[in-house]
Amino acid sequence: MVNAGTQNSSRRSEDELIILGIESTAHTFGVGIVSNKEPYILADVRRVYKPREGGILPREAAAFFAKEAGSAVAEALREAGISIRDLSGIAVALGPGMGPVLRIGATVARALSAAYNKPLIPVNHAVAHLEIARYATGLHDPLIVYVSGGNTTITTHVAGRYRVFGETLDIALGNLLDTFAREAGIAPPYIVGGDHAVDRCAEGGEFIEGLPYTVKGQDVSFSGLLTAALRMLKRGARLSDVCYTLREIALSAVVEVAERGLAHTGKRELTVTGGVAANRLLREKLERMASRHGVEYAPVPRRYAGDNGVMIALTGLANYKWGITVDVERAYVRQRWRLDEADVPWYPRLPVE
Amino acid sequence: MVSKAPGRVASPDSLGTLLKRGAESEIRLGTYMGVKAVYKLRVRKEYMHPKLDSMLRAQRTRREARILLHARSHGATVPRVLAVYPSMGLIVMEYIEGATLKRIIDENTSKPPLELVREAGRQLGILHRSGIVHGDPTTSNYILSDGGALYIIDFGLADFSAEIEDRAVDLHLFRRAVESTHAPVAGALYKAFLEGYLGIMGAVGEEVSGRADEIRLRGRYVEARRATAWRFLSEG
Repeated sequence: MVNAGTQNSSRRSEDELIILGIESTAHTFGVGIVSNKEPYILADVRRVYKPREGGILPREAAAFFAKEAGSAVAEALREAGISIRDLSGIAVALGPGMGPVLRIGATVARALSAAYNKPLIPVNHAVAHLEIARYATGLHDPLIVYVSGGNTTITTHVAGRYRVFGETLDIALGNLLDTFAREAGIAPPYIVGGDHAVDRCAEGGEFIEGLPYTVKGQDVSFSGLLTAALRMLKRGARLSDVCYTLREIALSAVVEVAERGLAHTGKRELTVTGGVAANRLLREKLERMASRHGVEYAPVPRRYAGDNGVMIALTGLANYKWGITVDVERAYVRQRWRLDEADVPWYPRLPVE
Repeated sequence: MVSKAPGRVASPDSLGTLLKRGAESEIRLGTYMGVKAVYKLRVRKEYMHPKLDSMLRAQRTRREARILLHARSHGATVPRVLAVYPSMGLIVMEYIEGATLKRIIDENTSKPPLELVREAGRQLGILHRSGIVHGDPTTSNYILSDGGALYIIDFGLADFSAEIEDRAVDLHLFRRAVESTHAPVAGALYKAFLEGYLGIMGAVGEEVSGRADEIRLRGRYVEARRATAWRFLSEG
């Protein structure tokens, strides 16, 4: 199974598998290296595209990634102390994400796979966020809240795949916060010291009436909230109050659908993952909800909340062990590769188990 | 319809014996003006700002009561509302003594109670015709009273809507519920349910049931929803 014939291999044992993973779906070009032996994570290199103004410009981000890719891969190998020949396979996030940046990651991965004759492993970016949360928290069968710039999803694994229990009917939580901050003139930068612009501006704010709270069954909706909050600002409401209330409503709605998900699925474990999982208030609210229901709760470590290459390598490792690879000439990117379209046959085992 | 809270219901503990504790509310059995009554209390959610929490509880309590009254006045068999206290998140309803449809089906697996299931479909049809969708029409939420009437209960997720999609979700939820809890006879149960439903809803009902079949095929997922999310991200 393992190509162990390489000379001067730094692999520590014959049955060690080492996977390099490439993340390139939005603003982060990440290269992670993961082993199936302790300490599991061998390298975590990230190059983050930060727009000077406005939001992500996919083509500009792609140009930045193309410039950084080579040195990021080299740095990751150095950090892991291995040579590229030691790798068992190359994993890459083929979607979902933005086309121009996805293609950079895919091109790099295809090139490495072909040049060094390594298996190419397709990874679904959303599944990777869920798997790194399970890996890092040790929760084997949780209900998962996945919140980021492009996703607001309550999910759990049923019969071979992750299934969507609840989701946003319009814009994602991260998108709501980013767009509001941008329109209100308080971003970029969106994140400083781990806190979002909306969190910073909510300091000293108070809850005000008049903003809509929309939970429909198991789904949330944020577009009405965004419009109403911006309108309120225009009419002279205090910025800190609007930030405070917008955040309170949006986060509470997500926690409430998670609560309904727990009641409905009967799961006894809860975690949160994705870029917005770093949000302190969201983590705190989920903890309060979980403790009320006697549910074990552990959020993904903040370091692994946002996009990174480690989660791609980790999921790639599990995929590889289960024989999920792809021919180089068939490794197309899939901008709308849905969560429930990717097999996760190793569940409830963790990807390194 | 909105009454002032009398002193004796001031504390939830005085409301009677706990029947059920859900994610949203506590259901207690007590008495009201001398008759057996269900006290449905929306509980405080500690993770919300107190103002948001009390606003939502009041809003939802008021809406649920309004929906129950509306449904009843349009001929649906639902519990009578005895009192509403929005600021406490409390609805007091008539207690329906009887057995759930779920239990009746479970106890008669060799001979499923198809006529009763047909009536369940009729009741949902009457609700839909009146402009209400239930939101959670499982077999646990139908009760055959000792007097022989089939009631629909628990309007916690109900809403005013005449949308084909929302109505179809109700049919879908019923089908999914019988498939997961009464699998061997699910086909016959859904068929009987649909007969009752179509008897009330007619041609519109056909459209709703067609949509329910579509929902089943696509699972819960609507590609268009994702498309919107991604469009926003890439416009960034």
